[in-house]
Amino acid sequence: MDFKRLFTRKSKSSSIATQRLQLILTQDRFEVSEDSMKKLQFELTEVLAKYFEFTMHSVKMSLKREGSSYVLMADFPYSKSDKLR
Amino acid sequence: MGKVIVITSGKGGVGKTTSTANLGTALAMIERTVVIIDADVGLRNLDVVMGLESRVVYTSMDVIEKRCDLDKALVKDRRVEDLMLLAASQRNRKDDIKPEQMQEICEKLKQEYDFVLIDSPAGIEQGFHNAAAGADEAIIVTTPDVSAIRDADRIIGLLQHQGINSINLVLNRLSPTLVKNGNMMGKNEVLDILNIDLLGVVPEDTGVIASTNRGVPLVHSEGSPGAEAYMRIARRMTGQRIPIPEMQEENFFANLLNWFSRNK
Ligand SMILES: Nc1ncnc2c1ncn2[C@@H]1O[C@H](COP(=O)(O)OP(=O)(O)O)[C@@H](O)[C@H]1O
Ligand SMILES: [Mg+2]
Repeated sequence: MDFKRLFTRKSKSSSIATQRLQLILTQDRFEVSEDSMKKLQFELTEVLAKYFEFTMHSVKMSLKREGSSYVLMADFPYSKSDKLR
Repeated sequence: MGKVIVITSGKGGVGKTTSTANLGTALAMIERTVVIIDADVGLRNLDVVMGLESRVVYTSMDVIEKRCDLDKALVKDRRVEDLMLLAASQRNRKDDIKPEQMQEICEKLKQEYDFVLIDSPAGIEQGFHNAAAGADEAIIVTTPDVSAIRDADRIIGLLQHQGINSINLVLNRLSPTLVKNGNMMGKNEVLDILNIDLLGVVPEDTGVIASTNRGVPLVHSEGSPGAEAYMRIARRMTGQRIPIPEMQEENFFANLLNWFSRNK
């Protein structure tokens, strides 16, 4: 019997919807393909990696509506152990 | 001088026609002069939802093709003061009308009426552009699901591109119980994603279907949650500052608990 499965609750379907929408809308608003997004993320990380040490997978990008324009948001989380080079 | 407001969504079946009928009626009930226009040429149904289908003689197409005057084409709703309907032609197609022609009709009507509400067809093609052509403002109707919100986002972009900057959201068919148990996106999640101003939240209300069957907009039957939500939205549209209440659960026990906690 899978006890772990029994006790860890499934994520709520509403938060899954929110996450999926955020991804879909960022692509819609950017008007770029998923591939181009990944490439952009990768290249941005490469540039930043010259100065910081990053865990690549944690990078998150989104496009947020502000009035009639958009703000590009990129999160590059890093921890204290990621030192400035 | 009145305001022309397009009620639109991208996706079909989310409540544009229901909202146009109820907000038009609600605005007339609080003593505004109102025209509601069906811009869903070829698939008209605002007249049916309003229960006015048997009294439609002329349509916007007859006005455009000069078979009758604009005033003569308006059907008066006799249940309230100052509420008129301009029906769409059922035999024509969406591209039989040009944006300039819709614009002309809207310009004329807003000289005389406080509110001109336009029920937009679904989609992002010609029919949508015609509906939005004469609009000063927009109301986006969406339900709290992924595809409706995605389409709403696209429509917001198109409206802004057209220069419409007053864009407000009506979130329709929200079920407080589903939101609470995590199976429906809530008001704040939707707002966070779309990031436009919220005009109001309309709950899922079975009364909507009954009222459509009868051809009597819900706001005529006081006391139902949907009717109250639409009345509040109409008041906000006239500039009154009315707070958006947190939704009550439709569940009996939850209501009972709520009642006890309020009355102790
Ligand atoms: N708040 C609501 N509660 C329950 N049913 C609703 C609600 N709003 C709309 N509906 C139903 O959803 C369906 C589609 O509504 P409609 O207004 O015709 O959408 P649209 O004009 O966007 O295509 C109709 O059957 C209507 O009765
Ligand atoms: Mg409709």
